[in-house]
Amino acid sequence: MRLFWSKYKRRLLLFLAVFGPATITAISDNDAAGVATYSLAGAQFGYSILFILVPVTLLLAVTQEMGIRIALATGKGLGDLIRERYGIKITMIVFSVLMVANIGTIIANFAALKAALTMFNLPILPLFMLIVLGVILFVSKGNYRTNQRIFLLSVILYFSYVISTLKVDVDWGRAFVSMVNPAVVQFNKEYIFAGIAILGTTITPWGQFFVQSYVIDKKLTIDKLKYSQIETYFGSILTNFFSFFMIVATAATLFAYGIKLQSGEQAALAIKPFAGEMASFLFGIGFINAALMGIIIISLTTAYAFSEFFGYTGSLDAPFEKGKIFYGIFTLQLLIGAAVVLLPFISVFQIVFFTQSFNAILLPFIFFFLLKFTNNKELMGAHINTKWYNIFSIVSTVVIILAAIFVLISSVFGL
Amino acid sequence: MIYFSELKGKDVSTEDNVKVGKLDDLIFLASENPRITKLVVEDLSGNKINISIDHVKKINSNVLINKNYSISELEENELFLLKNIQDKQIIDLKGNKVVRVNDVVLQDKNGLYVSGVDISLLGIFRWLKLEKYFHKLANFVNYRPISQFLSWADIQPLELARGQVRLKKEEQKLEKLRPEDLADYLEKTNVVNTRKILKILDKKFAADVIRSLNINYQTSLFKYFTPEIAAKFISLIDPDEAVDIILTQSPKKREQIIRLLGESKKTEINHLLKLSNTPIGELITTEYLTVSPEETVKSVITKVRRDSADFFTLLNIYVVNKDNQLIGVFNIHELLLQDDNTQVYKFMIQNVIVVHLTTPVEIVIRKMFKYHLLHLPVIDISKKIQGIITMVDVDKFVVEKL
Repeated sequence: MRLFWSKYKRRLLLFLAVFGPATITAISDNDAAGVATYSLAGAQFGYSILFILVPVTLLLAVTQEMGIRIALATGKGLGDLIRERYGIKITMIVFSVLMVANIGTIIANFAALKAALTMFNLPILPLFMLIVLGVILFVSKGNYRTNQRIFLLSVILYFSYVISTLKVDVDWGRAFVSMVNPAVVQFNKEYIFAGIAILGTTITPWGQFFVQSYVIDKKLTIDKLKYSQIETYFGSILTNFFSFFMIVATAATLFAYGIKLQSGEQAALAIKPFAGEMASFLFGIGFINAALMGIIIISLTTAYAFSEFFGYTGSLDAPFEKGKIFYGIFTLQLLIGAAVVLLPFISVFQIVFFTQSFNAILLPFIFFFLLKFTNNKELMGAHINTKWYNIFSIVSTVVIILAAIFVLISSVFGL
Repeated sequence: MIYFSELKGKDVSTEDNVKVGKLDDLIFLASENPRITKLVVEDLSGNKINISIDHVKKINSNVLINKNYSISELEENELFLLKNIQDKQIIDLKGNKVVRVNDVVLQDKNGLYVSGVDISLLGIFRWLKLEKYFHKLANFVNYRPISQFLSWADIQPLELARGQVRLKKEEQKLEKLRPEDLADYLEKTNVVNTRKILKILDKKFAADVIRSLNINYQTSLFKYFTPEIAAKFISLIDPDEAVDIILTQSPKKREQIIRLLGESKKTEINHLLKLSNTPIGELITTEYLTVSPEETVKSVITKVRRDSADFFTLLNIYVVNKDNQLIGVFNIHELLLQDDNTQVYKFMIQNVIVVHLTTPVEIVIRKMFKYHLLHLPVIDISKKIQGIITMVDVDKFVVEKL
């Protein structure tokens, strides 16, 4: 018995040692935009939209797993590989689009943050300054470990959605059945678009860049691949575990009473009459947390990507002196994001729209690179994609690309 | 000097104007002297063929090759510019990422060879064919972009080395460096560390590294060595340099070391030691010019006119980095052969023959004759230039000998 226990204890410890990157990336895919989309979908379609969660979980896990496997097998980030394999011209294009899309997403998250703070009647300007300053300080001064701890703390804060939902009168039986019962799927335009929008906000170009860079920055080695893969699935499931509650909370309240949401930010306020003060408050806290997580992780993504593309030191463990460029780019994005949202004459709505377009354009190329790299024997060695995995990932990729294009078209024509 | 970005994609045709294809890559010999050996040409049907550089008639706006060229195979120690250097990560000895290779610089002097890599923003714009516009834009905001150049001697392209035993890799990684560069690096660590590293190196290579260390460092290093080891290294080092080192040791240790040397080495060193009573401190002059590697020929010439008017003579111009350390040299003739806008680093000689303040006059003279140099720069322990010593300054010693 003791032997049995020690065997598993060792494995558990190993798992905890690699734990972090996949979970943090997956969770941050539920940034403010993600949360808003889930709330909207829940309010509009009720429990039936839960059916989309299983495929989203699977797709997220598959794509993240490819990123992690490349990172561990090659020791290189997506930026490194694109630059080394495709040269300067492609690099410049990919990086430019990624940077614009990322800054757009950061702006969207700042806008969400502003909306949430307004909801709580909190002063915007001083809080923005405090947040930007605090974030810059802890990212540039702290090392990888301290940063990861704070990110994991943020992951825990997502439980506010769970608690919030438990305060609501939920038809749990229907919720669980909806997840697996294809009969709930509605074959109308709105439902399909909502499903696709969820996919589009969950699987993003920056998510793919981030997971790879972040694994490398943790200095994990290939012998831990199995544990990292387990973590990838764990992270995807956890992310969509939270998504489940976001949807259920609005489905059990707003959908049940036939109240339509104008935008996702209002969800916290809108559920108050049905769920009570406490649930509404927790929902708001969760939303602020999601926005902050998005702001930090996406800014980090651009900084990591720039360092990889152009070969500078890019690590949370780098002292400020050595990582000047890395931290500089990180800071610059925060300042731009905060400034744009504070300026009254810039339309955040349009920026968010263009951001989505850029993300949608970039995503097919990112998956092209991912599939190219994971099928390259020279790069991956024994960890190359197997035939079945390939078929599955190609199908997933096509689904994701179609989804991205759908989101794009729907926003262009205002469907 | 040619940039790889300017060559890639150029049309390749034979002398009688039959198009062969486009230049895709260059193959070079991965060695101290990285000569370009073959061109990789993508022919009209999209196949990649290797053509030996011997068939090349001309390389500039287009590439012309012999009519009856033949296709050759990749040989041992040959690497590709595009695949193995271009865009690769440059890391320093401690493993820190520095920058990526933005462009490769080729030198066309007695055959084409790799002289180094461009790590500046200009390298990126050159690939994008936007260099001109970048210059214009930069001019507009009064900023003068300059190429940053890493010489071949300074770099060790990071290679994909997987599945190797780690300890051995460390050793190999060290040996691929030039001894001078390793010495530079070792001077920044402590003596204990240095001894550890020297121990795993090949003896001859280690001797070269020791030779390149500064005199203070050599002194403390030899204090740690047993006479046996010291003698072994001394016998591997050029006698001129060896004497410099032996002189730093106590007379007792000196004797112990010399006793252990081979017969002919012993006589040679003893002879040199006898001569070494005259330090050169009083003989050096300060009539020399230094410039930075980024300066253009034009600005150097202006400097010569302005600053050297009252010099006795000026033969060489020395190149120093930001820390005032000597990194290159060129003579007036080499200067005049260049275009006005060429930057100094593109043609300077990096392997500078130097003497130290502690070097005896006899050894200075030997060096002057050995390398046919009339002027030698004198540097201190941190490689900063202190002055120069000229044949005129030492001629009375030469006459004495005669």
